[in-house]
Order: sequence, then structure tokens, then C-alpha cells
Amino acid sequence: MNSDGNLMDPEYKEAVISLLFQLADDDFLYSFRGSEWLGLAPHIEADIAFSSISQDSMGHAAMYYKLLEELGAGNADDLAHYRPAPERRNSILTERVNGQGYYMETPHFDWAYAVARSYFYTQAKKVRIDSLCESTYKPLSEVAVKMRMELYYHKLHWDTWFKQLLSSTDEAKKKMEDAIKLVIDDFGDVFSYGKQKQQIESFGLIGSEEELKAGWKENIEPLFASLQLKVPAIPDHPVKNGRIGEHTRDLEEGLSTLSEVCSADITAVW
Amino acid sequence: MGEENTFYQEYEIFSKRTPNSAFQHQFSLLAPNEDMALIMAQENFMRREPVADIWIVNRKHLKRMNADEKRTLVRLENKEYRTTKGYGYLKKKWRQYEQEMLDEKEILSWGGERK
Repeated sequence: MNSDGNLMDPEYKEAVISLLFQLADDDFLYSFRGSEWLGLAPHIEADIAFSSISQDSMGHAAMYYKLLEELGAGNADDLAHYRPAPERRNSILTERVNGQGYYMETPHFDWAYAVARSYFYTQAKKVRIDSLCESTYKPLSEVAVKMRMELYYHKLHWDTWFKQLLSSTDEAKKKMEDAIKLVIDDFGDVFSYGKQKQQIESFGLIGSEEELKAGWKENIEPLFASLQLKVPAIPDHPVKNGRIGEHTRDLEEGLSTLSEVCSADITAVW
Repeated sequence: MGEENTFYQEYEIFSKRTPNSAFQHQFSLLAPNEDMALIMAQENFMRREPVADIWIVNRKHLKRMNADEKRTLVRLENKEYRTTKGYGYLKKKWRQYEQEMLDEKEILSWGGERK
């Protein structure tokens, strides 16, 4: 189907918009949390590499918001900055703070958590993007093909960190296992499509929740086998489901921080 | 590949022209070991150019990218902000603000407060 919102079946359009908000908000919040590591990563080259990946992901979010704009959902920048927490459709995994403290004062962030979150998120993004390349909504499949090009690098980066830390010292292994538990506890809504599940799946916008979950598991199994670990099970019922607007306090704090400058003068021209 | 059975090995040769310049890859050659590689590199390829230092690296010690890893090198064309050309519009903006700064109204508003 083409991108002319006026000619589109209203139900189809509603499903596309619903899915796009989930995809856009995921990458937006994920890259915002990633950007909070600037200057703090445990190694200077890791710092630059993580920042580049965060910029790439922010670019992906911008592409999704642009598709929403083309469908008449609102201006892309406004959609990114000004929607309050209950309107957000990102997984709660992407909104979680990086650890204790704040970026501006005494950040005691958890690198193991950053690696674990990025690893599992990127693996989930990989199966979603692969599936989106076949989407019935043409503009979406086109951007997915583009994003897939950069995802090879993101995946190699996080696969490497994940593997190295889990096959390092006992202390590193312990920290990673604690971090994996935190990440998986929040993973219940990653593959959820919220209230529009039925429509999103039957219109063929993306593969079913079950298909994607199975693909994710299949992709990460070899690495876990090589580390002699079991693939952690995704919880059946999410603690909170971001896809239906249920969020943690971390999201509100994050949104007020990320929109602080543009909210200070909303008429300014950038 | 059966490289253990091969007398000759492949070496990559790097050199720099002056003590302060950067090493540059020059060429590769076959030699039975690195000492032989060094003298061959020096005798055969650096007779005319000034050389301050030479590095010899056995090719099997290089981490090289496989086809799959090369796929990680692709970038999308949406990163003008990483290059100076992404900020080309700033010049125009500066000019605009400088002009505004020195207009009549601005100059008159200085009156009295300046000596």
C-alpha cells in the first residue's frame, strides 16, 4: 500500500500508525538512554562507538516519526519531544534509567546493564527489522531495508561486548547475570503490539508476536550455547505494558530531561 | 590452507619516511621468516626513498574482515551532523545576527549608558 493517507482504509491506517509509534518510541528512548553514557563509558573508544550507535538509532527513530508525519499524525519533532508519558508506546525496557544517580550529578551507571539491554534490544530489533522488510506497508518496508544496513554493525558491536564480558572474570559474569535478569524482567512487552495486535498482524504490517519471539530465541541460542548458558525466558505477562501506555516513573523523568531545552522556548527556530 | 608446509610466508611491509611521520603500508612480499623479510624489503624496495623505520607483519597475524563483517561498514546518508558541511548554514545565521546587532535601533539603544 502507498503512503497516501487519504486513500488508505481507515482501519489499515490506524494499525500502521499504532505500529509506527511503537517502533519510533522504542528507538527514541533507547537512543536517549544510550546518549546518557556520553563521557561515562569505561573506555574512550567504547564511548565514541556507543554514541555513534545512539545517533544511528536516533536517526532510525526520526525516520519512523517522519512516516507518522506523512500520515498526518503530527510534526515529527513534536511527536518525539512533546508527547506525555501515557501517550508513549515504547517498551518499558527502553525507558529504564542506566543505574543510580543522574547524568548531571554523580552518575553511577551500570555498564553490564547497558551491554545486556543493548544486546537483547538489538537482537529484538534485528528480528523486527527483518520482518518489516516484508511489510505490506511499502514506506515502512523501504525504511526497514535501510536500517538493516546499519544494524549489522550494532549487532556485531553488542554481540562482542556481551560475549566478552560473559566469558571474562567471575565478577564480570556475576554483574552480567544480574543485568540479564533485570533486562528480561522488562522484556514482556518488547514483542507485544498492544491493543492493535489483531489488526497489525492480520494486515501483514509485521510478523506475529509469536513468530518474532521464536525468531529472537533462535537467533540468540547459538551464543548462549557457546557460553553454556540457557536462553532466559521472556515473561508471559509484562510487569507493565508500554504498548498500551503503561510506563514507569523513569519515563517521565527521561521525557522532562530530553525535552528541557526545546520546552524552554517552543517558538525558537533551530 | 596447509601454510605450515610452505617455506615462504606472506609479509606486509610498513615504513615511514621520517621519525615523526606515520607508518604507511607499502607492499607485501614472500620470505621464509621476518628477518629475511626485513632485509628484502630494505634492499629491494627502499633503495631510493628515505626511510626512518620499517615494520614487518606476518599476514596471518592480521585480523581481516570476512564478507559478513564487511556488511557492518555500511552507513546511511543521514549524518551531516558528523561533518563540518552539516553546519554550513551557520555562516548565514551569523551574518543575520551580526546585521541585526548593528542596526540603527540597536546603536541608539546604547545612548546614555556609554561614555
